[in-house]
Amino acid sequence: MTAKGVSGGDVWNRILFYAGILLFVLVSVLPLLWVFKMSIISKGELQASPPTILPQDPTLESYAAIFADAGFLRSLLNSAVIAGVTTVVCLVLGSVAAYAIARLRFRFKSAFMTLILAIAFFPPVAIIGPLFSQFSEIGIVNTYASMIIPDVVFALPLTVWLLVAFFRELPFDLEEAAKVDGATTLQAFWKVIVPLSAPGVFTTAILTFIFAWNEFIFANTFSFDDSTRPVTVSIPSFAGVFTVNYGAQAAAAVVVTIPLVILVLIFQRRIVSGLTAGAVKG
Amino acid sequence: MATRAGTPEKEGGGLGRVFREEFRNRERRTAYYMILPTLLVILGVAFYPIAVSLINSFRLSLPGQPGGEWAGLQNYVYLFRDSPFQAAFINTVVFTVVSVALEFVIGLAVALAINRAFKARGLVRAAILVPWAFPIVVSAVMWRLMYQDQVGIINYIVTALGLIDQPILTDNVTVMIGAIVSDVWKTTPFMALLLLAGLQTIPGDVYEAAKVDGASRVQQFFRITLPLLGPSILVALLFRTLDSWRVYDLFWAMSDKQLESLSTYTYKAVRDSQLLFPVGNAAAVVTFLTAFLIAIFFIKVLGMKTSTEA
Amino acid sequence: MSSVVAERAGGRSGSSKRRGRLSRRDFLRLSGAGLAGAALLGGAGCGGGGEQTSGVTNLVFSFGPDDSGSLTQVVDRFNEEYQGEIQAEYRQMPSDTSSYFNQLRTEFQSGASPVDVIGGDVTWPAQLAANGWILDLSDLFTEDMRSDFVDATVQSCTYQDKVWGVPWFTDVGLLWYRQDLLEESGFSEGPQTWDELKEMAEKTSRDSGTEFGFIFQGAQYEGAVVDGLEYIWTSGGNVLTDSGEVLADQPDPITGLTTQRSMVEDGVSPIAVVNYKEPETHTAFLNGSAVFCRNWPYMYGLLKDPAQSQITPDQVEITTLPYNEGGESHSGLGGWNMYVNAASEDKLDAIWEFIRFFTMNDEQQRFRATSGGFLPPLKSLYEDQEILDSQPVVSIAGDALERALTRPISPFYSDVSLAMQRQFAESLKGAVTPEEAAQNLQQEISSRIELGQRLLVEDRSG
Repeated sequence: MTAKGVSGGDVWNRILFYAGILLFVLVSVLPLLWVFKMSIISKGELQASPPTILPQDPTLESYAAIFADAGFLRSLLNSAVIAGVTTVVCLVLGSVAAYAIARLRFRFKSAFMTLILAIAFFPPVAIIGPLFSQFSEIGIVNTYASMIIPDVVFALPLTVWLLVAFFRELPFDLEEAAKVDGATTLQAFWKVIVPLSAPGVFTTAILTFIFAWNEFIFANTFSFDDSTRPVTVSIPSFAGVFTVNYGAQAAAAVVVTIPLVILVLIFQRRIVSGLTAGAVKG
Repeated sequence: MATRAGTPEKEGGGLGRVFREEFRNRERRTAYYMILPTLLVILGVAFYPIAVSLINSFRLSLPGQPGGEWAGLQNYVYLFRDSPFQAAFINTVVFTVVSVALEFVIGLAVALAINRAFKARGLVRAAILVPWAFPIVVSAVMWRLMYQDQVGIINYIVTALGLIDQPILTDNVTVMIGAIVSDVWKTTPFMALLLLAGLQTIPGDVYEAAKVDGASRVQQFFRITLPLLGPSILVALLFRTLDSWRVYDLFWAMSDKQLESLSTYTYKAVRDSQLLFPVGNAAAVVTFLTAFLIAIFFIKVLGMKTSTEA
Repeated sequence: MSSVVAERAGGRSGSSKRRGRLSRRDFLRLSGAGLAGAALLGGAGCGGGGEQTSGVTNLVFSFGPDDSGSLTQVVDRFNEEYQGEIQAEYRQMPSDTSSYFNQLRTEFQSGASPVDVIGGDVTWPAQLAANGWILDLSDLFTEDMRSDFVDATVQSCTYQDKVWGVPWFTDVGLLWYRQDLLEESGFSEGPQTWDELKEMAEKTSRDSGTEFGFIFQGAQYEGAVVDGLEYIWTSGGNVLTDSGEVLADQPDPITGLTTQRSMVEDGVSPIAVVNYKEPETHTAFLNGSAVFCRNWPYMYGLLKDPAQSQITPDQVEITTLPYNEGGESHSGLGGWNMYVNAASEDKLDAIWEFIRFFTMNDEQQRFRATSGGFLPPLKSLYEDQEILDSQPVVSIAGDALERALTRPISPFYSDVSLAMQRQFAESLKGAVTPEEAAQNLQQEISSRIELGQRLLVEDRSG
């Protein structure tokens, strides 16, 4: 910004700029605040028409209700397990593959990358039918495996992409040094590269976890009851036979999202650099 | 032990020789072993089922029933004539085009704004990541609660302002608008971040030089920023376009299954209906092919790079 | 760096046979680890079936969520009474009937369902029977026994002249209205015809300042199929007969659909009804926002509860549905029956005890009626004083049940229902005219049935 002295136009520009930013931030955060409000008001106030702006009858009954619901608690556990295992599997498979792409030379590299990228474009719904038949035959429908497997497939492009970018940042002579000392390629990978790219791996893990946590379509198809249903499926169907509990839905939404939001806020720098590193370096 | 395969293959040697050359090299062999698990998982879990869908789309069969009589293109004919499918297709196109356009414009504006140093920039960046963290389904349920005609705050405000005369969720057009708003809210941050990263790779002195030459802000934007940002824009657009094209969670939860997209139509036909299963497979193939074509378009026609050099 | 690497790489570690070669073990370890882990962890979650252990027969009974808690109690009572002989387990299924059915169907299609006794919707027998998934109970559930049950409920278990289930509890569509408001506007009696209803609704809502005249379920889902059919039936028409005749494109059904659409067009009902399912309907009515309301008997329980309702039972009158000229009052039948998994035939004796305990035992039925508001399928209980005292709605429900009709009985009901859901909703929204909707319905249902008959290799109910 050149120093022109404080002219009227400049001040005006500044005001508009900050106003715009403020507006943007508000819009981003308001819906969350509104849902939070819905989660702390009573059933009666929830049904008020027109809806109240500020809570008039604050209560924690919605939260009490969902935490007393064994099904909901179980769904939190299910989500954690599914997302966790998916992340681990993706990291194992993806880091190995990403290393090969980033640091080794071989033909068919670009064909392989294209194949992986193609998955990122894949409509999941296109494979639901046959996948369902296959899983039924194997007998894993309504188990964790039935959701972990498709999640892994669809998270792998993200994982590989990010790790390729991270691995590329490391200096190349590391492998040479390792080889001189007698390591195999694989040993070089495990014992040198992986520890050094720990921050990148960590970021990738977070993003993969979030991706798997938010997955819906496979979870909705393959989970039948409380024992396997993750939160993304249980929240929309927070209903009895004839009643929909708006308060419970709101409370559940808050409970499910708060950890994610906190995670994102704490690691935002890493997340941003991870996402953008992948994008820019391609 | 050789560590480089330097021998170029001869013409007419064919793929077999190429493979043999590759595997003779230790480093390369290791590399193939390393990518093998990922490759197997992807081929087995994604590409094999799509092949099955393809075959099923040419047959008449019920779910769980193997085989089935050959039907040629019958299912596709039925599909393209089916008015819910046509509606679903149009909905998907409209949703994709409008959402992505809005996300791009707003995202770019936000990226440009954040690119300038100002106070509380970190806070702003954190705040805009909040929508991104939500599961789509949760976000959709939230917005639906806000659009609901009895207890929804947005419906109330919009009706009070006289902008609409019937509740948001009753008219497919307003439901679509509501879905677009929800999607824009959720993914503009992501778009902004991608563009911001691209912006930050543009060296500042390019702008300095332009300013010295007397270029206005607008000119700077169009002559410098946009072209240099080109690759990032294409990547961002491609991902967002394909994400929107596959929309399922949002429509399912927001419109309570009333608004159809390509994916919801396919899902309904393959899972909820018994008899439309063959048609559903055709729809799955169509969904896949169109997504594929869009990707090809971006890569070939728009010249997007998918570089992989080490 | 070099020395660290050297230290880690070691010389010859056990896992590497030769310098620079990836050993098979390493490779297998790497690629197998993740997938094996996933598979191992994936073992959780599958429901177990009942088996025979040491003389006690174990049964699995499936049903949706037990909101009232009364189901679990009856199961406990059963287990207590039959201790040492039969033990039953309640397996909770999705609350949405279509989702529940899809899950069952999937389990059957993939070869086995762990459920022995199915607490199923009234629209399921034809589909389940035609695929050979449930047992024919005509011999166990004798004609004598059947005569104790409300006719419509037995009809809902019947397909191809055989009886495939036993009615467990029933449900029927009723007209609810604000008697207090009607009286203020000068109406001493409820409406007999749809036209009368419209007239009363308009005047009363205007006089009393009530927001809505008449509300009902119009969203695109299974529940609204009943509403739509009610309009058609009360105009003297039908959509699909038991013999498979499609009668949608005829004057009477068109009249019915026109009546439904006219509710919105004439401003008697808000356009919002196109999103209404049961929760929205009862919320609006119990908030005092509507004069008339079409809903199921469950609403009475909410009406009695001051925490859930702004209005009280003495402000409300309940009656049978209105009709059009040339038609009669016909309510849609809801409710749930008990079906038996064909694969569980070896446990049939135990299963039959279970079914009888739930369906033909006056005490259990009375308990479910008074504590959960579930309408009994047994005719005699409609005179039962205890039930009538606690649930006055039962008396008018009994009247409505006498002329209740079931939704079309077809082995392809899922698809027929999807077609009806769509056309009824489109017609209500005004996206198509009632005539067009009737035509579309005729064409869609006919083509689905034709396709179904080609695909369904054999009808195994015969």
